[in-house]
Amino acid sequence: MATEPMREKLIESNPFVDVATHLFLEDIADKQGASGLNNYLMSLATNLAKSMPEEEYDTWDEFLEALKNGNSILTAFEEVFMPTKNCVVTRRSPFERGWQEYVKRVGSFSRIHEEVAEYYNSAVKPTAINSLHIIHQTFRAAAAERITVGGKRVRYAQIATVWTDGEKKIVPDEWLPVLLAKAGISRTELNMLLRNNADVWLLYTD
Amino acid sequence: MLDVALVSLIQDMSEKAGVDGTIQYWQRVGENLARRIGKEAYMGWPSFNVALREGRTGFSIEGDVIPLTDLAITDVDGDVVGYIYALRQCVFVPTILRVRYSVGELPRADRAVAEEYNNSVHDIAVCNFCVIHEKFREEVAKNITIAGQHLESLLLATRGFTGETKISERNLKKLGINPEHVRSLLRNYECVYAILMKGVKLKEA
Repeated sequence: MATEPMREKLIESNPFVDVATHLFLEDIADKQGASGLNNYLMSLATNLAKSMPEEEYDTWDEFLEALKNGNSILTAFEEVFMPTKNCVVTRRSPFERGWQEYVKRVGSFSRIHEEVAEYYNSAVKPTAINSLHIIHQTFRAAAAERITVGGKRVRYAQIATVWTDGEKKIVPDEWLPVLLAKAGISRTELNMLLRNNADVWLLYTD
Repeated sequence: MLDVALVSLIQDMSEKAGVDGTIQYWQRVGENLARRIGKEAYMGWPSFNVALREGRTGFSIEGDVIPLTDLAITDVDGDVVGYIYALRQCVFVPTILRVRYSVGELPRADRAVAEEYNNSVHDIAVCNFCVIHEKFREEVAKNITIAGQHLESLLLATRGFTGETKISERNLKKLGINPEHVRSLLRNYECVYAILMKGVKLKEA
């Protein structure tokens, strides 16, 4: 198990690389448009998940313990807590520091990062606010596919996303009751969680 | 996370575009970052060095840059035209650690890219990320003026995660600095470079 200082280092981003990457992604968007960038981001995240080792757990409790301690690939880059056995809450976006560095060194975040999220929301699923959520959510989905609990594959679904500036994105109303029921939280509890956290998501097995 | 994702692409990228393709990719990343950071102007070296210490210059995105103001670079007339600067820790060490503890190990392409860069561009890389650094600093320097004069950056020495060191004979010769002097700096620092006014006439080594 990673020690606390090591865990903090794992979660922390590298602002130099993050800012450089954002600019490079903007270049890709200039050449290939929002759909090209979306494909690139999704392949980047999938590639990362595939490069990480597969996991198997005997019980859901064992899996939850690994999630909370950051020992699962799913939570290697984020600090989470779990209000219920299926609902996962990320306290702070792992991309926040890189974004803050971008805003400080380069200026306002380029509009393309939101445009590609709009493309993702219409073509894949409506849960992203900017390009970083495409990476993060695709990574979680691909990482979940590498994990089994009691022989069953883990499934992931995003419920709500909040960006550093406070903008929120919650799944469409028609999806929400099902996801909240699976997560074991109410709509009010979701809103409470969204006040001061970055993501609310769901893990389950069929 | 974004940095670890990029590292996971290196192997794939090197297999598809070759290690030279990865070098070009990293150079574009460094160049693009520097270009977008924009221009800066300073009255003189003291104000530039203070700005560096306070993290206000384009170079500061790399973290805490230490101006070694006891190591001035002088021209043929003895005027100060630059200084030596250093990073106590390479910007990429945290990324290397994150890769180590999340993926398991750096891709083999990391070494291959560094070796190709050393053979074909500049024998100074201790890992593939050195490619970004060198290009980034060269380009940032072009965007900064001190007393109206443009700057240039010369990478002098690097120490890698595993202790491997590289010293640039080419750049040290240009500045007339004894390699042993820089070697001793590598005990405390992982990356040593010079920033000086572009086009000045330096003393012969």
